[in-house]
Amino acid sequence: MSFEISIGPQHPIHVEPLMLRLSVEGELIVDVDVDVSYIHRGIEKALEARPYIQGLYLVERICGICNAAHSLCYCLNVEQLLGKEAPPRAKYLRIVVEELSRIHSHLLWLGHYFHTLGFETLFMYFWRDRERIMDMLELITGNRVTTSYNTIGGVRRDLTPEAEQRLRRTLDYIEERMRYYEKVIDSEPTILARTQGVGILKPSDAVRLGVVGPHLRASGVKHDVRLDDPYSGHDEIPFNVITWDTCDCYARVKVRIREVYESVNMIRYALDHMPSGDYRLKIPPFFKAPPGESLSRVEAPRGELVHYSISDGGDRPYRYKVRTPTLANLLSVVEMLRSRDGYEVYIADVPAILGGIDPCICCSARVMVTDEARRRRTIMTLEDIIKISRERGAKRR
Amino acid sequence: MGFVEKLVKKCRARSPWILLFDTGACNACDIEIAACLTPRYDVERFGVLARGSPRHADILVVTGPVTRQVRDRLIRIYEQMPEPKYVVAAGTCATSGGVYWGCYNTYPSLDSVIPVHAYVSGCPVKPEAILKAISILVEKIEKGEV
Amino acid sequence: MGEEDILRKITEKFGESVLEARVLGRRRISILVPPDAYKNVVKYVAQDLGLEFLSCLSGVDYGDSLEVVAHLGFSTQILIKTRVPKNNPVIDSITDILPAANLYEREAHDLLGIIFRGHPNLRRVFLPEDWPKGIYPLRKDYAPEHPKPLRGGEVG
Repeated sequence: MSFEISIGPQHPIHVEPLMLRLSVEGELIVDVDVDVSYIHRGIEKALEARPYIQGLYLVERICGICNAAHSLCYCLNVEQLLGKEAPPRAKYLRIVVEELSRIHSHLLWLGHYFHTLGFETLFMYFWRDRERIMDMLELITGNRVTTSYNTIGGVRRDLTPEAEQRLRRTLDYIEERMRYYEKVIDSEPTILARTQGVGILKPSDAVRLGVVGPHLRASGVKHDVRLDDPYSGHDEIPFNVITWDTCDCYARVKVRIREVYESVNMIRYALDHMPSGDYRLKIPPFFKAPPGESLSRVEAPRGELVHYSISDGGDRPYRYKVRTPTLANLLSVVEMLRSRDGYEVYIADVPAILGGIDPCICCSARVMVTDEARRRRTIMTLEDIIKISRERGAKRR
Repeated sequence: MGFVEKLVKKCRARSPWILLFDTGACNACDIEIAACLTPRYDVERFGVLARGSPRHADILVVTGPVTRQVRDRLIRIYEQMPEPKYVVAAGTCATSGGVYWGCYNTYPSLDSVIPVHAYVSGCPVKPEAILKAISILVEKIEKGEV
Repeated sequence: MGEEDILRKITEKFGESVLEARVLGRRRISILVPPDAYKNVVKYVAQDLGLEFLSCLSGVDYGDSLEVVAHLGFSTQILIKTRVPKNNPVIDSITDILPAANLYEREAHDLLGIIFRGHPNLRRVFLPEDWPKGIYPLRKDYAPEHPKPLRGGEVG
């Protein structure tokens, strides 16, 4: 007897519509289907109708959380087409804002993840500390989210010595808090029971399915665009690529926590070795790009982001293609949610596994359970499903 | 107004429960609104709770340009909310289309799909602006002007 | 392996089939192959050269032909391109070699109308359910317009 559960759009906290159709036998999930048509806005077509400088502001709003990564990737792409490179000071300033954005995104995810697992207090703590990073972003760039800091040819503002001092103090605070949180997570039995051994993804499967980012590194594969294909001065700044071998949800939490330490160290190194000089090249706002094509890749907080563009000599792109990291990670959700011999997945594991890929698209509230054999339908809200998952987690301890 | 009516209006204004719905947004407005629930801005001191189901909510806060696929779900959610209900369009995309003006899959604004009672601009909308919008809306509910 | 070495190995193995091969920049290579050699080239690059990671699969509209571009590689990225005529846009699917191509090929099919032979599940992925069949938004002959408002006055 098999059920079909469809998880459709609407969610209390992290909202982005995504439809998952699960086929269930008893408690075990047998098959999964994914539907992502709710967010499609037609951005690639719109980019073909706008000059390059207007396209910058549209590309930033593909994703509000990774907006620094999108705008950086776009600027690198257009600079490659024009055959120019940003000055050294601009490269280091770009790294500072990019790593700050990575810290804020990881803190956001950690808070949201523990909220779905049932740990409200950690959610409030993480987001309270995240506000300090948002203050720093506002001080350096002028806005908290969608900062518009990168521009074609460099960055738009310089870093003042006062801002640098406050930034260093905030980094010390964040590092101290992260050490405390890591201790809490490692000593809390509920969290360990809900995340260890759940959502296993083998390294060979991960590479075949095209998985990227911390999700890939949590399966033990050492790939990071900042290491393999450095783009903005990353070959001059030393950092470690964090991997973890257990391939489960616990590994994903650990990788992201450790990446926050690495980002803090990278920002400190960039501030200590900041080159002097111009922070922006003089490029007129409306220009015609020479014909050609260019491909740029950036390590966004969620994984590898690819922008591919083709120019025919005009002032707007002929074709602009964006491949976001969550699209690459979605197939792995299908793989991780399927039960095989020896590996069982329960409905209660769905929030933990789906949250583990750090989806920049969200789940839902309405779940319809169809019982084919008894011809009966019940409707559950997301609160019911989260309650079930928390109760089962407590039982498993 | 009788005494009971006045009491009901006062109580309704003291605990407006909201439902957040994203109709294809880039997520920036959503995380700013979610930041309102966290300790620094703390919207719960106004009696506001974020609920998961439309049947428990008074105010529907919508972000994002409405995409074609989401339109029917949005209308269904709006119809499931019990009267009296209010809609807040948060962000420039919901107010007037925002950067997505001219795209083939998005509606020109939220009020071309459901009636709207309050508009908050910003790209993304700042948490302080959301707090002010909710407090102004709540005052108007209490006086009966909406 | 440097960019020149990879290009040399591919041109040695496939000879006549490689219509165009060039280095675009640091760690970027591009080759153009005819549609019947496309799958074999992808198989060779993924399995024999070790570039087993599919990062993206794009589709481009060039007026009278549609182009499919497969991006492979962790560090050095190689773009394998092939063109099909617009009145018969059929190409082999590479999901049996690289399962990552599943969602990307569905996207190219949905938005540009390219048909991938051998794909396990070629259905709509991005466009809404009530989008009319046969209209592909990313093609150059489609002019975008807003959906009609359900209520309210004129669109400003």
